[in-house]
Amino acid sequence: MSSAPAPRISSPFAHAPETREHGRAREARAAGRPQRLEALRNDLLAAPYTLCTQKAELLTEYFRDHVPADPLVGALAPLHFALTRRGLARSLASGAPQPLWQLRASRALQALYARRLDAAAGEPAVLHHARALAHILERAPLRIYEHELVVGNPSSQRIGAPIHPDLGGILMLPELERLATRAVNPIASTEEQRRRLAEEIFPFWFPRSIQSRVAVLAPDAGLANALLRGDRFVLTQFAGISHVTPDYPAVLERGFEGILEQVETARRTASTREQAAFFDAAAIAARAAIAFGARWSEHCAQAATRQIVPQRAAELRRLAGVFAQVPARPARSFYEAVQSTLLTHVIVHQESFQHGVSFGRIDRYLQPHYERDLAEGRVTREEAIEILGSFLGKAAELLPLFNEMATEYFSGLSSASGITLGGIDEEGRDATNEVSLLVLEAYDHMRLRQPNLHARLHAGSAPGFVRLAHDVVKRGGGMPAFFSDEAVVPAIENLGIATRHARDYAIVGCVEWGVPRRSFPAAGACFLSLPAALVRALHGGATADAAPVSFDSMEALVAALRREIEALVAEAAAGNDAIERAHARWRPTPLLSLLVDGCIASGRDVTEGGARYDSTGMQGVGLADVADSLAAIERLVFDEKRTGVAALIAAADADFANDAALQRRLEERLPRYGCDAGPAEAWAKRVAQIYCDAVREHRNPRAGPYAPGFWTMTTHVGFGRRLGALPSGRRAGRPLSDGVSPSNGADHRGPTASLLAAAHAQGPLTGNGLCLNEKIEPWFVEGEAGTALLADLTRGYFRAGGMQVQYNIVDPAVLLDAKAHPERHRDLVVRISGYSAYFNDLTEEMKDDIITRTLHGGAGPIRPVDGRACG
Amino acid sequence: MTQDDGAIVFDVQRFSVHDGPGIRTIVFFKGCALACAWCQNPEAIRAAPEIYYDDERCLAGCARCIDRCRDGALGDRRPKRVDFARCTACGACVDDCPAGALRIVGRTWSARELLTEVLRDRPFYASSGGGITLSGGEPVLHAEFLTRWLPLVKREGLHVVLETCGAYPFALLEPLLEWVDLVFFDVKAADAERHRTLTGKTNDQITQTLALLLRRGAAVEVRMPVVPGRNDDAENVAQTAKMLGRMGVGRVTLLPYNHLWEAKLPRLGTQQRPLGIRPPPGGHYEELVRAFAGHGIAAST
Ligand code: SF4
Ligand code: SF4
Repeated sequence: MSSAPAPRISSPFAHAPETREHGRAREARAAGRPQRLEALRNDLLAAPYTLCTQKAELLTEYFRDHVPADPLVGALAPLHFALTRRGLARSLASGAPQPLWQLRASRALQALYARRLDAAAGEPAVLHHARALAHILERAPLRIYEHELVVGNPSSQRIGAPIHPDLGGILMLPELERLATRAVNPIASTEEQRRRLAEEIFPFWFPRSIQSRVAVLAPDAGLANALLRGDRFVLTQFAGISHVTPDYPAVLERGFEGILEQVETARRTASTREQAAFFDAAAIAARAAIAFGARWSEHCAQAATRQIVPQRAAELRRLAGVFAQVPARPARSFYEAVQSTLLTHVIVHQESFQHGVSFGRIDRYLQPHYERDLAEGRVTREEAIEILGSFLGKAAELLPLFNEMATEYFSGLSSASGITLGGIDEEGRDATNEVSLLVLEAYDHMRLRQPNLHARLHAGSAPGFVRLAHDVVKRGGGMPAFFSDEAVVPAIENLGIATRHARDYAIVGCVEWGVPRRSFPAAGACFLSLPAALVRALHGGATADAAPVSFDSMEALVAALRREIEALVAEAAAGNDAIERAHARWRPTPLLSLLVDGCIASGRDVTEGGARYDSTGMQGVGLADVADSLAAIERLVFDEKRTGVAALIAAADADFANDAALQRRLEERLPRYGCDAGPAEAWAKRVAQIYCDAVREHRNPRAGPYAPGFWTMTTHVGFGRRLGALPSGRRAGRPLSDGVSPSNGADHRGPTASLLAAAHAQGPLTGNGLCLNEKIEPWFVEGEAGTALLADLTRGYFRAGGMQVQYNIVDPAVLLDAKAHPERHRDLVVRISGYSAYFNDLTEEMKDDIITRTLHGGAGPIRPVDGRACG
Repeated sequence: MTQDDGAIVFDVQRFSVHDGPGIRTIVFFKGCALACAWCQNPEAIRAAPEIYYDDERCLAGCARCIDRCRDGALGDRRPKRVDFARCTACGACVDDCPAGALRIVGRTWSARELLTEVLRDRPFYASSGGGITLSGGEPVLHAEFLTRWLPLVKREGLHVVLETCGAYPFALLEPLLEWVDLVFFDVKAADAERHRTLTGKTNDQITQTLALLLRRGAAVEVRMPVVPGRNDDAENVAQTAKMLGRMGVGRVTLLPYNHLWEAKLPRLGTQQRPLGIRPPPGGHYEELVRAFAGHGIAAST
């Protein structure tokens, strides 16, 4: 950047529509927002959500034209597809299981396609996919939007939801026609897009996609039905693995040219054909990335010649110069570093699906560039904030694409690109720096739902950073979330990761702690309903239709619960193993492999275990519900002897229809997890331990551990809808608790109690992250004293061993107004489990869940007499 | 457990941020020496445990508590289910109430138990410079208990604030002072007769206690609960300012009025009656601050 003041762009939105701003705080912020960022923000808020089929089209084009097919598959697959298509629509709509014989027959056919297509293809899949990526990068249209300082198109749309027919895109097929009109998260598409998907693209990928091929490898032919029921576990990696923090710093240091050199050197030592193929593919991918940068350079230069506003033309010329250098070669300036990072991010997304691809510790890797430029007068603080704001806006351009069922489990449209700020370095020193603050300030201006901002704190964190981070979050939006280095680093070490590398952790996607650059953590792979396991334990290992069984001690019940949890984990792991093996065999990601340390050294793709560290994340959902249920059974049955286990379960199975008083007693009079009275927290800890032990028993096909986590996205709503009442008093169909948060209403002793309750349940085995939602009323944190208070809460919780917390600080009246008048609150951002979303993008059920979640806050000067028992 | 071992406490409230520095836990002791007409905690005044009935929580169609009461204090007349005059606070009905509509306010806590409870939020005291606040009721009436309990609290290094009305002989308070870091001392009215009307007692003893407390050099913050129309007139402001000035007190904290306590009255067998006072007009407290300033006292809200 020149040292001249940043150009002032006149914006058609200079005066934001009245309806967009609510509350004095937001107006004040808008007033200080640089005009360029104001304009960008308004454009992004106004942009429609649109389906992106660019990758789908180009990928299909490449495979159809360049990968030899097989005539038999060509004859059989279309018929098979037509049959399956109807079955799929039926089952997705009704959740009805498909007959097992059908699934078996389908599997046999898919196995046949796989064999014949593999044979026909001649070359390994990794080479085809590398060339396909090059094909995409050569042809993807390039678009520069007004006001942007940082350019690149994660999708073909301003706000785009790319579909991936090679992965799990086919699940959208039954809903394509109503995609634009569905009640929740409508996504615009053209008739031509839909026609090509339905008639050309999906039929082509039907015998080739991961969705289809998993069945070939899954030990259980009924896996599809289990997933369709969605009551016990959800496996996500049909849709892709992603969830990784690529080595963007390597691109800044060496450029793709440097990386290519590494590949070529390693190629000389390849000892197997597979390795040689991988290196060849990796080299193709690196060259494609280099060429893509050159295309951008030319594109910007041409755009500059057409640009009539001299100021903007100069900016575009400057961008042309930037792309002449990056990402091919090392970044020489702050601006080049930011742009190189973003373009690499874009490139990764032309190969991988849009979920959890994270930026890592950008304050660390941008800092040297910023400091040098600042010292040499090439950038000012204000310019840096504009560049970063423009960069953050880019990360908000991607949407995940979910079908209606998946929307229940993953409401909020987050593709969860994480940015991690602050924290210690490899030697344990504070790594917080000026760029950490700049990113927070840039975010404060943008306040979009993405990227996902995470702040690492430790005892020696710079006080200014702690203050600013809390000041930013207290004005709503739920970002940044906070992570405790003291607690998280040991949990990562526990996965077998060296201390130096564990200290360098960054958040992958929502809350998953992973090692950036060196690991392939597959962090969002599985979600398991712990209450579903409890219900089976209470019915002798059968579903809730069976008669409840009795237990003569809590220990006997816990033993049964342990067996059910172990069985659930084993079933989910077996299903996920099949998915991961399918990726390794048929959908390698050579470009991503360039950006994960270990792959070049080992000559293996990330999907095949090439990364230095490997793991797979498996989340336990509904911890508080199980803890509350066990505490209730212990108290009512074994302590007070008011009733028997079977009688209590029978009442719950009937949804307390005949025993309203019992349901009230359960809700009102029993110690629940979150009020820090002891019993329920002890159960939470015990159940968490049982779950973690069960998960750690398993290893994934990449020879890495399964890593337990406790975060939910909105699977707690989806699982809850498919579960009967619980002994905790939770009614049938109601959402489960999210993350390690208490159930709604159970945390009525205020935030210190619920924070400590949650801290109690956590432990060093939680290798894949957890999520604690704290809702705080805005008046509580007003002013500087309020900011300090919030920081004190975070620090106190971390002192007690807490690992993560995120705050939802929003006036309940605003939420209610937003539910009634969505049009007035387009920019209202709220925190979900582990990510932020526009309130308007949530399902109605999720909106209610957010509203009813306990409102914390002091009692004020009046101490209400609280009728609820807490111990 | 006998009462000698413990004290009757009616609540332990965590995460309080308005009763002393940092994040605090407030211990509400039961029993008070005064009976202020606006008492925010009407359930605090009597020393003994008492019944509390919240009709809004009571389950329609439920009557399980009625037979439990051997004193005939419970009937099926809603909302007046409880005949407070007959209730002996035996607690027999409470356990079976599924809704938490019936409860006994106040129970005896042992020194150990109370210590464990206030230590729970210790990580937050440490992060915020907080601690515990003794409130009530009048904590000093539990001086015997406190002389045993506060040393345990101080051994754990907790910061202690005492909220007190001062209506007792100073000798009761004096031995506690070595364990108390800060005293919040409430003054309500300067004129003795007005004080009697408002609180049931004159303020002679209170002013004496305050004077002695100040002489001891204790850290004291004088506070005045503002009761619109009762003690916020120019006369009382002038008299209070003069009284404080005489004692060398230069500052007073005004506690804004809140009427939410009135909602509790029907749930308790109390003599306290609603005052019907509504929040004063905007700017009222700023005016009071100016009025105090006119008499040389720095008031703040
Ligand atoms: S506390 Fe005892 S006396 Fe009072 S209403 Fe209940 S049972 Fe009757
Ligand atoms: S037991 Fe409780 S809920 Fe039932 S009638 Fe009595 S007060 Fe009401």
